[in-house]
Amino acid sequence: MAETATPELVPGTVQEQKSDVKSELEPGYLVICWNDPVNYMDYVTHVFQRVFGWPRKKAEFHMLQVHEQGKSVLARESLEKAEHYVHQLQKHSLHATMELDG
Amino acid sequence: MKLIGIEDGRHEFLLTRREKDLLLLVLRLYPRIPAGHQPLSKTRPEEKANQRLLDEALAEARMENKKALEALLSDTKRFKQQGSGWRLSLSSTDVDWLLQVLNDVRIGSWVQLGSPEQPLKELNVRTAPALWAMEMAGAFQMSFLELLKA
Repeated sequence: MAETATPELVPGTVQEQKSDVKSELEPGYLVICWNDPVNYMDYVTHVFQRVFGWPRKKAEFHMLQVHEQGKSVLARESLEKAEHYVHQLQKHSLHATMELDG
Repeated sequence: MKLIGIEDGRHEFLLTRREKDLLLLVLRLYPRIPAGHQPLSKTRPEEKANQRLLDEALAEARMENKKALEALLSDTKRFKQQGSGWRLSLSSTDVDWLLQVLNDVRIGSWVQLGSPEQPLKELNVRTAPALWAMEMAGAFQMSFLELLKA
């Protein structure tokens, strides 16, 4: 019987697969910014740029999503990181919360 | 208000005397947002421990802002007279902080007005002070943001 060839494994590949599985198992938290009638659009864009380090275009995209759709999911993070972002956004008086994903 | 230049990473603004007086008047209203105003989560209000930590962190940030604000208001070097106006020198971090403080005054005033979804139709003795603070803080915010964008 011919032996089945064992696929050659590149060490990096195995590592990557493991970390993918891990991140799927970890509970993720969504950082959400909600629309309100009082925060200025330019200010919201400015805050997204400051808090997430995003370029203006990306910050504007999420700001418009908040404005037009009522909310925007800004990030999916671990509990600690999500709390950090919500704290930063609320420090700037934006209407932001974190919700368990799924 | 004008942005007259950026020197060594500091933004140099020029304000008229009236603009300076109004800005200081608005800043003295800080903090305006009531403590515990913001929930950490809409769907998991049971996370009381985390909510308490967030409230404490926000209260601490408010105290730091208040101290920095008092330092700004008492620092005679921050505002320098230039001709008939006043020159205000701010780093990028200062500008972000100032916008934060102004937005607190704006949002806190809006909360005092009952968080209306639509602009107020009626101006009266009861609503006028909060409406004035909200609009004035917003006007300064927009001026700073417009100048930074340009």
